[in-house]
Amino acid sequence: MSTLALLLSQFVDALSQSALLFFLGVGLTLIFGLMRIVNFAHGALYMLGAFVGYSLGTWSGNYWLALAGAPLLVGLFGTAFEFSILRRLYRRDAHAFLMVTFGLALVVGEAVRLTWGSDALKVAAPPVLSGVVFLLDEPFPVYRLFLAATGIVVAVAIWQFLERSRLGLLIRATSQNADMANALGVDIKLIRSCVFGIGCGLAALGGVLAAPLVTASNGMAATVIIDAFVIVIIGGMGSFLGSLIGALLIGFVQVFGNYYAPDFALAFMYLVMLAVLVVRPGGLLGKEA
Amino acid sequence: MRGTTRLIWIVVALALLAAPLGLPPFAMTLLTEAVILGLFAMSLDLMFGYTRLVSFGHAAAYGFGAYACGWLLLHTGMPLLFAVFAAGLLTGVMAIGVGWICTLATGVSFSMLTLAFAQLLYAISFKWTSVTGGSDGLAGIPRTIGPFGFAALSSKTGFYYLALACLVGGFLVCRALVRSPFGAVLRGIRENEAKTTALGYNTRLYKIAVVAISYGLGGLAGALYAPFAGFANTELLFWLLSGQVLIMVIVGGAGTLIGPVLGAAFFMLMEHQLSAWTEAWALYFGLIFIAFVLFAPQGIWGLATGWLQMGRSRANPRL
Repeated sequence: MSTLALLLSQFVDALSQSALLFFLGVGLTLIFGLMRIVNFAHGALYMLGAFVGYSLGTWSGNYWLALAGAPLLVGLFGTAFEFSILRRLYRRDAHAFLMVTFGLALVVGEAVRLTWGSDALKVAAPPVLSGVVFLLDEPFPVYRLFLAATGIVVAVAIWQFLERSRLGLLIRATSQNADMANALGVDIKLIRSCVFGIGCGLAALGGVLAAPLVTASNGMAATVIIDAFVIVIIGGMGSFLGSLIGALLIGFVQVFGNYYAPDFALAFMYLVMLAVLVVRPGGLLGKEA
Repeated sequence: MRGTTRLIWIVVALALLAAPLGLPPFAMTLLTEAVILGLFAMSLDLMFGYTRLVSFGHAAAYGFGAYACGWLLLHTGMPLLFAVFAAGLLTGVMAIGVGWICTLATGVSFSMLTLAFAQLLYAISFKWTSVTGGSDGLAGIPRTIGPFGFAALSSKTGFYYLALACLVGGFLVCRALVRSPFGAVLRGIRENEAKTTALGYNTRLYKIAVVAISYGLGGLAGALYAPFAGFANTELLFWLLSGQVLIMVIVGGAGTLIGPVLGAAFFMLMEHQLSAWTEAWALYFGLIFIAFVLFAPQGIWGLATGWLQMGRSRANPRL
């Protein structure tokens, strides 16, 4: 394999990895920006997305239905959770959220195990996406390309949604000053429910998309939640662009680190985070913490 | 009624001291582990409850202490008692560096930096196989008997008393600390750091000091765990443990020292009882946490003291 082809394939690999990480990170950062809460259950919802997607896919035989349906269902679940439980806690300390979402992570994790069993489930990509293409005469899985493309599309869509749509405007306003937005007549309770749902839905989207790559398993929640935290911290809590940069940085560090220095790959990510935080304690694009 | 409180203390102390006489061996194992975890949770309370420094990587202290103690016992032939305290001390010294870097940031970033350190140690424990045993961890850690007649400590009952002594000693040290002027500055940092700085205190030094002390005590707990379980593995450094100990502190009642010990015992008991009763214990566990946050924000200790006070006001109604 020529060096150039190798680099290119790694580049696309890293890009697709970044896309998956981005789905997680952006939901987490949106939720944090708006509500100042760290959603511990984000990894569990990512996993829930993968399993719901699996069931929808096998039930309907249609991958695209699963891809659209799982985020929607998990998003609705997130909204319901915000509506019934989180809503009571906004006047309380930040650690109340930590504990409630930690509890939710346990509940969701266990519910998934009870419903779908402890075995990893294989999710097949649709025929269109399961082949390989040749990049510089080297075979390359189409699914990775599809992931990278989806990541770009979703990133642009969220950006446009936040910048152009009315709901996006209200989200930004509430994020900047919730009391003032409320005084101006914005129903911030509704906005919070929406954003929590959207964030959970994005995590689920990541889960559905990751399932054909890594199989849906009970262990997938524990590993990704920390990756998501790291991304959000590197980018700056609450910053949309920051989560994008963080996801790219970590995606590339993971893929290239795994290839060139597999012994240290696990440590690289944290070293990057340490370095960023020592220089800029609030994250790359965050406000000074 | 101060008498009632004192009576409860005396009964609890006697019960803990007499526990090995009446309890079956498996219950003693559980109790010893609860005592060790109690010390671990209490060490975090110094940071979390009194200084509002939310360590999200407290497993670093526990795991480091466990590995250090395990290594000392396996490779240097140091007696149990010395190895345990040396490991705690080493953890505290290591934590000066951790504290120095982590206190550059505040708030959530501080938590994430402590997490990063813990995960870094987790990664190292996997890769530095010659010292840590890699993914197998350190196994067959002995309870080496020392030269000064501490042989009793290596028995099951003796080890329980050692752990209990560490917990009580740790509690007395922590209580003395939080009641001292040093503790007052810590509470000042918790309530309003800017104001404390303005009063002329170098808050960063205080924060580094409390991180070192807290990690040192957490390391002591880990150092007790290694010879207790006979092994030290990467699980002890994993972030899940950091999350769990934070929950123990909050469920027990942060900022009370004794509350987190109760939280740890509650955690152990729940895990054990629920897993004996149903396979889906984590489900009920999670629901119990959520219920705690919603209905008992002050934690177990808060509930308990609340009841005591209620009894008090009923006994001497204010005129």
